[in-house]
Amino acid sequence: MTNNLTENLNRFKAFWRHFSGAEAINNILVVCVILYVWNFVSGVIDNPARYLPAPDVVIFSSFDLFHKGLLPVYFGETMARLVTGSFIGLALGIPFGLALGLNKTVSDIFYPILNFFQSVSGIAIFPIIVIWWGNSEKTVLAIILYTAFFPVAFSVLSGVRTVPMRYVQAAQTLGASHWQIVKDVLIPGAMPHIATGSRLSIGFGWRAVIAGEMLAGRQGMGWMIFTGQDADRTHEVILGMVVIGLTWIVLDRYLLRPFEADTIERWGLVQR
Amino acid sequence: MSALYDLSIAIQTKFGRQNIRAFTLGSIPFVVLLSLWYMNGAFQWLEPIYLPSIGEVIESAWTLQEECGGVGEIVALENSCLLSTHILSSIGRVILAAAIGLPVGIAFGVLAGMNRFVSKLLEPIAIFFNSISGIAWIPLAIVWFGVGWVTTLFIMLNTIIWLMFFNTMLGVRSIPQVLENSVLTMGGSRWDVIKHVYLPGAMPAMITGMRMSMGFGWRALIAAEMIGGDSGLGFMIFSSAEEFKIEEVFLGVIIISVIWMATDRYLLQPLERYTIERWGLVWKPK
Amino acid sequence: MTAKLVVEGLSHHYPDEYTGIDVHALDDINLEVKEGEFVAVVGPSGCGKTTLLNILAGLLPYKVGSAYVDGVKIDGPGPERGVVFQEHAILPWRSVARNIGHGLEIRGVPEAERNSKVSEYINLVGLEGFEDRYPHELSGGMKQRVAVARTLCADPEVMLMDEPFAAVDAQTRITLQEEINRIAITTKKTTMFITHAVDEAAFLGDRCFVMSRRPGKLKAIVDIKIPRERRIWKDMLADEEFIAARDNILRLVREEVTRDDE
Repeated sequence: MTNNLTENLNRFKAFWRHFSGAEAINNILVVCVILYVWNFVSGVIDNPARYLPAPDVVIFSSFDLFHKGLLPVYFGETMARLVTGSFIGLALGIPFGLALGLNKTVSDIFYPILNFFQSVSGIAIFPIIVIWWGNSEKTVLAIILYTAFFPVAFSVLSGVRTVPMRYVQAAQTLGASHWQIVKDVLIPGAMPHIATGSRLSIGFGWRAVIAGEMLAGRQGMGWMIFTGQDADRTHEVILGMVVIGLTWIVLDRYLLRPFEADTIERWGLVQR
Repeated sequence: MSALYDLSIAIQTKFGRQNIRAFTLGSIPFVVLLSLWYMNGAFQWLEPIYLPSIGEVIESAWTLQEECGGVGEIVALENSCLLSTHILSSIGRVILAAAIGLPVGIAFGVLAGMNRFVSKLLEPIAIFFNSISGIAWIPLAIVWFGVGWVTTLFIMLNTIIWLMFFNTMLGVRSIPQVLENSVLTMGGSRWDVIKHVYLPGAMPAMITGMRMSMGFGWRALIAAEMIGGDSGLGFMIFSSAEEFKIEEVFLGVIIISVIWMATDRYLLQPLERYTIERWGLVWKPK
Repeated sequence: MTAKLVVEGLSHHYPDEYTGIDVHALDDINLEVKEGEFVAVVGPSGCGKTTLLNILAGLLPYKVGSAYVDGVKIDGPGPERGVVFQEHAILPWRSVARNIGHGLEIRGVPEAERNSKVSEYINLVGLEGFEDRYPHELSGGMKQRVAVARTLCADPEVMLMDEPFAAVDAQTRITLQEEINRIAITTKKTTMFITHAVDEAAFLGDRCFVMSRRPGKLKAIVDIKIPRERRIWKDMLADEEFIAARDNILRLVREEVTRDDE
């Protein structure tokens, strides 16, 4: 009798382990636990409206904001900035990284100063930019651009440098010109690094756009949570945070990482 | 002439020819930029509001410390010693956040790495909370703790803990089961396994995680000080910007990046090299 | 028959990467390869045969002595000297067909002509059906076939092969050696083939240059007058002339390996 039970239990456990939906169900369960704990804490503390509004309050406020058409607008503005800023940052960073990677002397010259500017960070450079350009769109975009430039530039630099010499030599013995070597060997060879660096840059850009909106007071998700705190609308703050978190998860796991993995595989550099 | 030649050979032998070459080449952009900056001050190419002269920046350091009454006041973080107070406040928060955040992150990471159930619970939570970048936590932190050092500390802790958690957990997970078994079959307890297998084995991941979380944490701290702080380097550059005192902003930005570069280069990177190489876990070819 | 490849008084030194001590890799090499000849270069490890090939390929600059191809001094890599590398070096992000056609692409040959030539060489190396596959889908032996096809398709004057079968398993190596012979019969390409395997050198070469150990000198030249059409392994294993030549080369190489230091 007990044997039958344990056998069924084991069968179930094996099924569960290999069931591809198991992870999703697990995550849903965790979310439920969080919501439950959250609700409980909201219930017992003083002045929940200010410190920790209950989940249902937050959800209802989201309907409200949606209905007023505000949430989509904020979201759209933030995303637009992210796309624009990251795009320019990548468009500048990738060629820069390539140029540096091609010539050791050039990279020896510029590497330390790049390192220096990267360590300043987009956040620290904000006060300088804001003195120049005020609390404008230009300022926020400059911050995003600055932040997104470095990760991809360094990645590409490293990628070009680590292309195995024998591929370059093979192209040389086929009579390739310098430019043909760059086009046929170095750029494709550095593709995995270009893809990874782009993903990192966009990630950094995402952080920068939220910070930039908060600091410069430009309308968007970052601004929404900042003003929510200021105007004592804590439920909006939490809603904004949840949306920010979910957006990043979707962006990173379902867009950026798959794209990166696909690029790497397509360029045939999968290790068997 | 011969003495000069001997000197040059001595320098080359001590530091290595390639290193000297790299160092000289690498300093060229710095020299160029500093010269341009100096000339800008001398010839007034850009308006002083956009680019203060070097002299003004250095002078502002003195101005900020003007009313300072000596070492005692520096240590007490008196408001009269503005510059040193801000610097020490920020650094103090870094140390405090590291002292609390690193062990907590490591502890939870080890737990999650060891135990499937714990990781199934903590991992989704960590992924979600990590995706709400440290900076997005600032408004909520202000609601809870008000504007001040607690908020800034919270933000930095938040950033550090999740990153350390992930890196440690991945590090522990990547340790081959057989190593754990070897300790158990020698009569070791669970705690022995943690001490002798998990912690050393996850060391490279932990050190890398430490470097990463310190970097992100430092940036998040500056941002938190800008938005929700009342002291510290972030606060200083933000408030100076509001008063259009660009020379103070420049001073602050330079100090911020020098602190990070020095910490990374002389503390974190050597620590990484030393620990990883000593444990023999990563072979670095000469 | 004209001299295709001429090397006169070639010597080469280089400082060791780690110790800085000077390494004398080649010492006064003099050799000639005639048009259409298939020459094997064999010697003990470290004898400088790969250095020799790299110099002839133009991938390694040389200062002492001279090297000519068709009377033109060798000065850098070029399409007239095709190279098959030890680790094949076919580009992982290009399909088999695009790899093979790479040399023609570089020269600007129009697509239609390129495609027909590529098909020709795919058939030559027996890779029909694999045109659109990627290197990571191929076995080691197949990758080397792609490398050989790529070099031949670019139609160089001379083909240099640097131990191309060293990383391939024994069974595949036998198949590839017979294929190289078949290709040599068809294309009559002037070839220099570097190897450390004595029987491979004897099997493939019209002439075998045996090198001394470091510093590499040309120790001896062994002629193998067996016509290429007869060179099939199962026959060669019993062929007296082959056995004699191979044993001769083996003895010469063993001498170098076991020689006491001067």
